[in-house]
Amino acid sequence: MATTTDSVDLVGDEVVGNVARAALFAALMGAFAYVSFPNPLSPSPITLQVLGVFLAGIMLGPVWGAAAMVLYLAAGAVGAPVFAGGSSGIGPLVGFTAGYLWSYPIAAFVVGAAVHGGFALRDYRDASVVRLVGAMTLGTAVIYALGTVGFAYVQNVGLVEAFLVSAVAFVPFEAVKIAAAVGIVRSDAIAAS
Amino acid sequence: MLTYAPGDSLAHRLDPRSKLLFQLSFAWTAFAHTTPRGLATLTGVALGALLAAELSPRTALREFRFALPFLAAAPLLEALTLGPPWVVPGDAVPPALASYRVLLIFLVSAAYVRTTPVRDSRAAIQRLVPGKPGQFLGVGVALVFRFLPVLRADLARVREAMAARLGDERPLGERMRLVATAGLNRAFGRADRLALALRARCFAWNPTLPALRFSRLDAPAVALSVIIAAFSLV
Repeated sequence: MATTTDSVDLVGDEVVGNVARAALFAALMGAFAYVSFPNPLSPSPITLQVLGVFLAGIMLGPVWGAAAMVLYLAAGAVGAPVFAGGSSGIGPLVGFTAGYLWSYPIAAFVVGAAVHGGFALRDYRDASVVRLVGAMTLGTAVIYALGTVGFAYVQNVGLVEAFLVSAVAFVPFEAVKIAAAVGIVRSDAIAAS
Repeated sequence: MLTYAPGDSLAHRLDPRSKLLFQLSFAWTAFAHTTPRGLATLTGVALGALLAAELSPRTALREFRFALPFLAAAPLLEALTLGPPWVVPGDAVPPALASYRVLLIFLVSAAYVRTTPVRDSRAAIQRLVPGKPGQFLGVGVALVFRFLPVLRADLARVREAMAARLGDERPLGERMRLVATAGLNRAFGRADRLALALRARCFAWNPTLPALRFSRLDAPAVALSVIIAAFSLV
């Protein structure tokens, strides 16, 4: 064991709660990668990961939502099987999925900031449907824009080809995920606030 | 699924920090030298890394089978053009080389995953990222490893229960909503109990980490990483 002589520096009560939630949300993102539904447009299935990004921004807010996504990427980089298809390691973070994965913290931040109207957390249940849908549409645009550019750069193809291979079979289902997220936020089914 | 397996291979005995450095310099050079000659050399290096980890290339490749359709589709689509002559095979060469480079990077990262335990990775993160961000990342990564199997089992139970009640006949959006709602409730419930337990046990910013020490074996590994990275400048 390494030894230190510093006195114990306790983590504040509020931060403990936020760290626990961010970590559990990152783990939930990983578990969402295994919840797959067959995709009629592509051999690759639809997973709930993008829904996880939206919900992180909405429920944890811009700062802790983005922090949860950073944890998700860090855990995957050192070997937690949390990326698409249960893969892990630095490979997916610099391979053709790089643009998509790195966009998650940014998208969670954008969605959170748009829903909460800034850095301060407000009750997300008070947000109007228009605001929720707008925020998630913006988040979707961030994810697919960065994802397509990343795919084009890493795979050495044009932007149109990159969009055709990596995005076009998945974009239509984002509307379904946005509707599901609105349903989740509007219902009283989530116990924690 | 590829995860850490205990062992005493060469790669198991290396410090996680030198393995991380090796992966980054390998990826850096693979991007700088996406030529047939560069990639042929890097193939040898990647196979060497797998050998050092005592991991067969076939096992490592199976891990990334989800990626193969995308890696194959990119060059195929690039070769197609709208209008005669419709197919230009020459256009497919740069994307094909790019696909191969990604595959090599995947293989090398699989060697890290197979040979590095979570607590070593966590200690490496906390030593490489200074201050509270590093502590947060380290603690968070350890918790993700701990709770991922638990939440996966939670979600699997939810889906099983749904299927038993013909819930999988419902529209896609509704199925997503039901699974996600159940997952969120489980995750938030577990987070509340975890936070209570952490407070009760004086959760601190400066916990004691396992010792990491560079051994004599790390010197050649670091030197090789530096040589590979320098190769990108040539």
